[in-house]
Amino acid sequence: MTDTPEAAVDASETTELEMTAAETYAASLTERLGATGYSEEFDTVRVFVERDAWVETIVAASEELPFFSWLSAIDWSKTTEVGEGVDEPETLEERFEVICRLSSVENADGAIFVATVPKDDASIGSLTPHFGGAEWHEREAHEMFDIAFEGNKNLVPLYLPDDFIGHPLLKSYPLIAREVKPWPGDVDVEPMPDVASDSQDAEGSDT
Amino acid sequence: MTSREMMHRSESAVSIELQTPDMTLNIGPQHPSTHGVLRLVAKVDGERIREVEPVIGYMHRGYEKLAEVRTYAQITALVNRIDWVSGFASEVPFILGVEKLMGVEAPERAQWIRLILSELARISSHLVFISSYPLELGATTPLMHSLREREYILELIEEVTGGRFHPNFNRVGGVKSAYGGGSTTKKQSMDLPAGFFKRTSEAMDRMDKICDDIDTLVTGNELIKMRTVGVGIIPPDKALEFGLSGPNLRASGVAYDLRKSDSYLTYDQVEFDVVSRPGGDCYDRYLVRLHEVRESVKIIRQAIDMIPSGPLQAKVPRVLKAPKGHVYSRAENPKGEFGYYIVSEGGKMPYRLKIRSTSFSNLTILPWILKGQLIPDLVAIMGSLDFVLGDVDR
Repeated sequence: MTDTPEAAVDASETTELEMTAAETYAASLTERLGATGYSEEFDTVRVFVERDAWVETIVAASEELPFFSWLSAIDWSKTTEVGEGVDEPETLEERFEVICRLSSVENADGAIFVATVPKDDASIGSLTPHFGGAEWHEREAHEMFDIAFEGNKNLVPLYLPDDFIGHPLLKSYPLIAREVKPWPGDVDVEPMPDVASDSQDAEGSDT
Repeated sequence: MTSREMMHRSESAVSIELQTPDMTLNIGPQHPSTHGVLRLVAKVDGERIREVEPVIGYMHRGYEKLAEVRTYAQITALVNRIDWVSGFASEVPFILGVEKLMGVEAPERAQWIRLILSELARISSHLVFISSYPLELGATTPLMHSLREREYILELIEEVTGGRFHPNFNRVGGVKSAYGGGSTTKKQSMDLPAGFFKRTSEAMDRMDKICDDIDTLVTGNELIKMRTVGVGIIPPDKALEFGLSGPNLRASGVAYDLRKSDSYLTYDQVEFDVVSRPGGDCYDRYLVRLHEVRESVKIIRQAIDMIPSGPLQAKVPRVLKAPKGHVYSRAENPKGEFGYYIVSEGGKMPYRLKIRSTSFSNLTILPWILKGQLIPDLVAIMGSLDFVLGDVDR
């Protein structure tokens, strides 16, 4: 909440050498862990980790960020059956990103660790031997994205029924309800106005 | 040696003589102590639980998938259904994340209204715990008292938002013009209903009173103490490893509160204490929540004095499109850290929305904490974690 995205952009444009506090933190954390890179946007720190170094890096990071917040994944796909796709499908590299967030329990520090996992060999080391809380998160990522977590002995479905076919959070997985019946909101509303049209008044909002 | 280990040791001496074959006991999904539809498959040896496997997903609604086909404005209506006991509190981190993405900041009055309603939601959620927890331990009277008082809080929330459980009150850049407040003419600003602050102050007086009542009914109660003191101890390192947050973490001696550390909304302008207890047992988890009600009352009283007048909604584009980017936004839900990881590819809908729901993470400790416990303690321990199944299943 300290700086709005505009402020962050302005700062980087005017003084390129001066980094925001979050950016400095991201850079130093990346260096300490020997990770491959980092990004910082909207106060959200992401640290990129090699797939092979996934477990070691996160265990090392937990020395200073002991709170295991969550683990999940993103399916980066050129085509999608649901929603809006990626911005530039031509240049996108199809892949999974396994993401895990750790945070401090003294201040607002925290980082999202990101490992890229290829789709034809979707597997990564499991965090369960080090973080008991990772088991359910990994089971969820496994059933939703079909990513294997090597070392997690209990990768049975968590949410889905045992005989469920498919991996619902993949972009190639259609949303069945929408296939069967179109979204009622699409039927008889006026078309969305142009983005370029005027801002609405403070009190006229019903969105 | 922890008391837990000591208990194991003394037990093993007994179990040599009294060995019985392990039996599988199904608890739930329809069981009053499971707060919804949680099923526990427990392997028991007599009264002792050998291991337990929670089975969840009976209420999985797939919000993360649904969010991919909904605009940011529509998702607000979804997210308050995740933890329905404190619907407003789960809206706040989402809307803060979207505002951060879009570079919008809500006017100050809207931020204060969000703060007041978040704290009202916290009181209402904790009152549900304070009423249902003694009930699970066999005391029926506190239920009547605190649920009655919770009605006053729900009435306040309904008065402002129009909904008792699902407010759907946050808008990108502000809050909805309040239901029933001000003039109905569009040109005039609609605000909180007249007399809202007076009624809130009165309700806060009632909350002080009910905390005192609960203190005399439950806190010093010998029977409650026997069931909860020293039962289900969670050491701080385990709490962190399993991602426990909120009162459950603070009862293990880790005084971590996002309202202090992240100081979102206007929490940096009000004074309150972070309640924490060193013991990590069921009794401490109960005490932390009870004291947090008092702290919330303190926050709301200050907010009523400090809230400025002004607009409720910032100017936002008619079509809400978020720029490309990643944002993780979190807030202190009554049950702990509630976060949304929003991945935007520049469209009207998120490319991916990861919901970090609190109860899900709080519940991951169940197999560890229930191992070796007695069946009667199972209900005491499970109840003390204060989870909502909608929050677990998403």
